[in-house]
Amino acid sequence: MNLKQSFIIALTISLTGILAWEAYWRAQGKIPDLDDDKNLWAIQRAKVETASKNDVILTGSSRVLFDIDLNEWEQETGIKPIQLANAGASPIPVFHDIVNNTDFKGTVVVGVTPGLFFSTTSPEANPWKRSQSRIDYYIDRTYAQRLNHWLSLPLQKNLVMVSTSEEGWTDDIDLKSLLNTIELGNRTGKPAFPPFYAFAYIDEDRNNPMSERTATDTAFAGTVQKAWKFFIESNKNAPDKEATTSFFLADAEKFMKRGGQLTLLRCPSSGWLKKGEDQFLPRAEFWDYLIDKTPAKAYHFEDYSQLKDLTCPEWSHLSAPDARFFTSELVKIMKADGIISNNKTN
Amino acid sequence: MLFNSLSFVVFLIIILALYYSGVFSWTNRKRILLFASYIFYGIWNPPLVILLWISTVVDWIAGNKLSTEENKRKRKLWLFLSLAVNLGFLAFFKYRDFLLDNFTTAVNSYGYGYQAQPMDIILPMGISFYTFQTMSYTIDMYLKRTERAKTFLDFALYVTFFPQLVAGPIVRAQDLITQFYEEKKASLNQFFWGLFLLTIGLFLKIVLADTLLSETADNIFGSKAILHSVDAWAGTLAFSGQIFFDFAGYSTCAIGIALMLGIVLPDNFRYPYAAIGFSDFWKRWHITLSSWLRDYLYIPLGGNKHGIVRMYSALMITMLLGGLWHGAAWTFVVWGALHGFYLIIERILRNKIHLKINPYNGILLALLTYILVNFTWVFFRAREFDTAKNIIRSMLFMNTDGEKILATFDILKVFSLILILFSCHWVMRNTSMKSVSLKHLHGY
Repeated sequence: MNLKQSFIIALTISLTGILAWEAYWRAQGKIPDLDDDKNLWAIQRAKVETASKNDVILTGSSRVLFDIDLNEWEQETGIKPIQLANAGASPIPVFHDIVNNTDFKGTVVVGVTPGLFFSTTSPEANPWKRSQSRIDYYIDRTYAQRLNHWLSLPLQKNLVMVSTSEEGWTDDIDLKSLLNTIELGNRTGKPAFPPFYAFAYIDEDRNNPMSERTATDTAFAGTVQKAWKFFIESNKNAPDKEATTSFFLADAEKFMKRGGQLTLLRCPSSGWLKKGEDQFLPRAEFWDYLIDKTPAKAYHFEDYSQLKDLTCPEWSHLSAPDARFFTSELVKIMKADGIISNNKTN
Repeated sequence: MLFNSLSFVVFLIIILALYYSGVFSWTNRKRILLFASYIFYGIWNPPLVILLWISTVVDWIAGNKLSTEENKRKRKLWLFLSLAVNLGFLAFFKYRDFLLDNFTTAVNSYGYGYQAQPMDIILPMGISFYTFQTMSYTIDMYLKRTERAKTFLDFALYVTFFPQLVAGPIVRAQDLITQFYEEKKASLNQFFWGLFLLTIGLFLKIVLADTLLSETADNIFGSKAILHSVDAWAGTLAFSGQIFFDFAGYSTCAIGIALMLGIVLPDNFRYPYAAIGFSDFWKRWHITLSSWLRDYLYIPLGGNKHGIVRMYSALMITMLLGGLWHGAAWTFVVWGALHGFYLIIERILRNKIHLKINPYNGILLALLTYILVNFTWVFFRAREFDTAKNIIRSMLFMNTDGEKILATFDILKVFSLILILFSCHWVMRNTSMKSVSLKHLHGY
């Protein structure tokens, strides 16, 4: 039995297949991208362990992830913030982790997306679990997991075919996701989840600008809007303002007592989503209620003439250029308030 | 480290490069393999390598003593020491919380308000495998069935050899240690066949188990709903496929990797879903475990040499403990009990009905065996008895208004994959990949 020949044939077929697959997806307009997964988050979380008084941590939901441009912030202040915001998640568990599991005394910016911040403190509820699972992963991650991720980064950066996501976007191209897009009637009788495509590109530091297509192609932005509508309309859980606020305030007090600087931030939203927030989570009853109970500095985009008219292409996040503008304006305001100082050496 | 990970690809390339570099003597190559095995294990959780070392040293000493000691009492003590350490590790790391839970329940049923402190102990990867492997050495030494390992290096490598360290096959001392005595080098054909087995194994595990079947099984067994019969069957069949592809895939990887180093490991799965009856099933499913349980549990308990009652009791105890070996929960015990029950019924029927197996009744009996095996998988996979009960009721068409939670495509995917799986097992039941490939190559 001569297996050398079989090996060469198998290798040739495999390499041809792989190259064809890569070429096909590139021809479809896909570009190599990183996955905003628990590994990427854990690398940033690890930075908190050695962070100094001058450092800045960003937590929040996807709005902080999209709307704060880390490079812009660094350019303005000389310090690149540690991005720990999680899409679709409550920032409260992350803040709780920073306060209770580290001795960080620098600045923490907590993004307040009312529908997520005030949602719940139940460990089993999605907004909480999505954050907590990343914290747990950071605590439990093994050397093998760290090495696997480190080895995967060059592949993710250079090959389209390895593109996949923890989130499970409709346009993911791993085998499981491709098969999941096959629909043969509606057997379960439940409303089908609308297609939800990835609409940002994240980098290794978790800087996460919105894709240009989302900002310029209104039909595409419309698909994201449909997904928000589906999420919000199918959510039957009432907000839990008291529990979330008191949980957060306990940590806030502890953090400020040890010399940490806490800042709350309400990022822009627009259109149908903003109207819904105004109606069901009105500012006076939620945001104002929260900031009245803490001495932390708080910034609401509506209070600033240069920020209040910013428009989100898909109702919830700023386009990449607007995110840069928003960041630089926010930094200016925070500097003027003495919240952050300029560490730039040049 | 898992075989299906990037770090393992790099690890294996480095090991193969060092192993075949021609720079090192055989002893040094074995030292490299041993050191690499500790890295392989420790990169997951470094302190737990200490358990491996303790197991290795204790069994090495016990084995040495048993090779020279003739005093029966002292021989028993050395055997006891090895069993106590290995089973003690298992009891502490795998069964502590389970034992404590049951103890608490039992004590509290007498009205004491006892509160146990759960310790949240981490389960050392592969502990069930390597403790069984080292115990087989000491027991064989005690029974004078094997020679003592020539050097500590050979013995340590036997306990820790990375291809089969965390998920088997569970190899007997005389089958593996002796292979380390002489210099090993895979022939080119062996190397390519090993690479082929590794690739097939990864395909079974990553594509078939993890990508195509696990999600359906997870959805069904994670659902709180009372399910439609089709959904319950799809979930159970998906799990039956998932566990086979996952486990057999991983064993195939282990056999392939060892072969690339010139080491031959025994088969662990032989097309089990084409088994006709349950004793046949256990000769095909996780073979190295079932033969371990047969040799070190069933036969010492009396086997079939002491009458029917003793035989059935031995069979049942073996299967119950075999169930518990798979996981520290009562659901696994029920899984084992069902298999024990099946084996007993089969033996009773075998004595009463004498059937000549032909391809026609054979496939029907294989199908019947597979269906009955599926009922046991429900207990193996379900985390709660309530879930198992609901799924079994749905599978028996007793929940007429069950909820449909799977999409049509999922159901088609599972049923077609399982049909292919069952057909392949039936076609391959009396052969192997190797002989099929040889036949084809000679045909050209």
